[in-house]
Amino acid sequence: MPGETPLPALDPMPIPGPPWLFHALWLVTFAVHVVGVNVVLGSAILGTFASLDRDRAFGRPIARLFAEVSTWAIALTITFGIAPLLFLQVLHGRLFYSATVILAPAWLGLLLVLMAAYYLTYAAKFRLRAGKEAALPLALSSLLFLAVAAIQVAVHLLSVQPGRWEAALASPWAAFSDRAFLPRLFHFVLAGVTLAGILLSWLAVRRAPAAEDRATAAARATWGVKIALLATLLQLVVGLWLTISVPRDVLLGLMRGGAATMAPFTLGIAAGFGLLVFLARVRDPIADRSSLRRALELFGLAMLLMLVTRHQLRDVYIDVAKAGAAPATAAQWGVFAIFLVSFVGCAALCVVALRRSATDRPGPGGATA
Amino acid sequence: MDYPIREFAVGGGLLIAVVATLHVVVAHFAVGGGLVLAVLETAAVRRGDRPMRDLVKRSSTILLLLSTVFGAISGVGIWFTIGVVHPAATSSLIHTFVWAWATEWAFFFLEVVTALAWVATWEKVSPKTHLLLIRLYAFAAFLSLVVIQGILGFMLTPGRFPSTASFFDGFLNPTYLPGVLFRTGVCLALAAAWMAFAALREEDRAARARLSRVLGGVGTLGLAVAAAGWFVWEKALPEPVQRLFLGEKPLLAALATGRTHTFRILLVAALLALLVTALPRLQSWPVALLALVACSGVLAGYERVREGVRKPWVIAEQMFSNGVLVTEIDALNEKGILSKAVWATKEAGGREVPTGEAVFRAECSSCHTRDGYLGIRQIASAMDADFAATFLTALRDDGARWQARAAGQDVKPDYPFMPPFVGTDAELEALAGWLASQNAPRTAEVSRAR
Repeated sequence: MPGETPLPALDPMPIPGPPWLFHALWLVTFAVHVVGVNVVLGSAILGTFASLDRDRAFGRPIARLFAEVSTWAIALTITFGIAPLLFLQVLHGRLFYSATVILAPAWLGLLLVLMAAYYLTYAAKFRLRAGKEAALPLALSSLLFLAVAAIQVAVHLLSVQPGRWEAALASPWAAFSDRAFLPRLFHFVLAGVTLAGILLSWLAVRRAPAAEDRATAAARATWGVKIALLATLLQLVVGLWLTISVPRDVLLGLMRGGAATMAPFTLGIAAGFGLLVFLARVRDPIADRSSLRRALELFGLAMLLMLVTRHQLRDVYIDVAKAGAAPATAAQWGVFAIFLVSFVGCAALCVVALRRSATDRPGPGGATA
Repeated sequence: MDYPIREFAVGGGLLIAVVATLHVVVAHFAVGGGLVLAVLETAAVRRGDRPMRDLVKRSSTILLLLSTVFGAISGVGIWFTIGVVHPAATSSLIHTFVWAWATEWAFFFLEVVTALAWVATWEKVSPKTHLLLIRLYAFAAFLSLVVIQGILGFMLTPGRFPSTASFFDGFLNPTYLPGVLFRTGVCLALAAAWMAFAALREEDRAARARLSRVLGGVGTLGLAVAAAGWFVWEKALPEPVQRLFLGEKPLLAALATGRTHTFRILLVAALLALLVTALPRLQSWPVALLALVACSGVLAGYERVREGVRKPWVIAEQMFSNGVLVTEIDALNEKGILSKAVWATKEAGGREVPTGEAVFRAECSSCHTRDGYLGIRQIASAMDADFAATFLTALRDDGARWQARAAGQDVKPDYPFMPPFVGTDAELEALAGWLASQNAPRTAEVSRAR
């Protein structure tokens, strides 16, 4: 079947820079986006569980913390999702657009789902601030974020397998019944839960808590570590499931890539195991903050390496489907320089704005205005 | 057009229009809100003006919720929608302007961060820092508009780009600056209209009237700038387009009428703004609501006219709204449209589509629905196969005229608002037959009724 499906012709318009540049920018911006996705997805799920905890004094502050973090994280995640989407379209536009056309109802519906999830998170945040229950909005937002993730995974898998387009056009469920769909979705979800668990623990013990808060901080941090540990254990199972669900040709293609493909893949798995070890070693999170920090670092490392593998896997999928092509290039270096200066300038201004917001305080008797 | 095809009951064009209109209204408010709030907060700090400061604070949450949530998602939404309805055009624009979009994204990133920080730091930072945040927001939001206008203007007036393929020739196109001027004015007017509701929540009557007067003044200024921008924008349009506004083509009367209606709405908005400026105590919820609807209507009307005058192009002088490139007209006439639009024969749900209908899907469905917006059954209701074939032949003859026009000759197509028909004789006959068959159920109904 691969190769038989009619592919749209390559866009006659040349791409405005060398492909490696777009690959690099895509990877970098996508990595930031995925950190956000993990925080949002994990916060929504853990926030829901926390808000359902029978011990309200324990659960509600956690739910509130996640809701507060989420409203920022969602905005930044969406914003950082735009850039990789741009660079993806430059390199694989014909595959991406085709998949989105085929799954158009779900793809366009994603926007409404995302917006509803976002506003529900705000609703939960305002309710929790007012000391009210927020289990329902948090649970609904979790389900909606899961739906967003599911649609993204389905579109991605379909885009790199043109051989499945015709079946998916006939019945969209064909896209969601891809063997790799569920493990890939769970892989994302578990990563989110792991990160949210570690972050919760880290925030609880980041500064040595006062004696009276010590028990609360320790309980919160231990809860986070336990969840992260459980999610990482499950991730090992799901990772294996994901590996065997990838089509044989694609997996062989990845292995044939030699050190370039196998090194990130193997190191990523090793980082996952390392993460498991450090999480398992944490007995007293307050006393053992260094292990928590190591766990956070290893999570970041594992995520970055797996993103490289994911990127390479996409290329192998496309090669196997004979859907790759070298587009003509006509670099616009001058405009690229404008982008680079703008980006660096805006990033610097963001740092200034955030630093001033965090450190500046009104003078005696001075309100904001 | 060699992409899979998805027909929408409401029509792809209308779908884009709905998503885009919702987005642009919010996005323009987000930009104008930044500018107006930065000025008002500065004034409030300098004068120690508590009511004005409260007005700014009351407006801040709605700015955040609208710009970072609805604005951001609906902005992505336009992209998703045009990618589904016009994938080839989206691809072409991305290849040409990806760095411009990336630059806009950088400013949007700053906009989101500063909006979040600004709203989160009320009462928590010094006035100086708080002013810095809103000024950075205003700067970033305005520059995102300045960048995106280059691409929007290009789609209508690509300037020298078709011959030079230079980014800057396309970006700094003839309608670029007029568009920026118009949009800046609308941004101010929309921000004033939105903030009028926050001003009405001021309890002190005198302060409420003062704030309403200030916002009325901002609205008046914005609408004056928008009117000037529109005037200059029209002058920058190609002469044949300007003639359309004067009703040169009776079949495009809706376009000229739409323009006139938009002017009327602008007049209403301006009168309301002047009224509130002169008699601020008359400001009330109904007046504010009417002003908001009118300001939104001005923008929606402008976008409608802008989209309308671009027809039949999706990218002027290069790609028609159905994805056919000017450069491929001859090849497709020879090989057939279905040699390229292979997915037109495969419908969602798995039905194999007959040739005539497939040609409709390939060439017409990006604008025409079956029964909804620009419904083909309604349009074809008076056609038999011969009439349809004659009409399509005339449309095909236009292909050469479009090519000549793209080559710089002063040639007028007979149907300036429709893409040419491209395809073989067999495809033309098949489409004509299918169009005539759309009339059949209605004829049968009439016969039965008789």
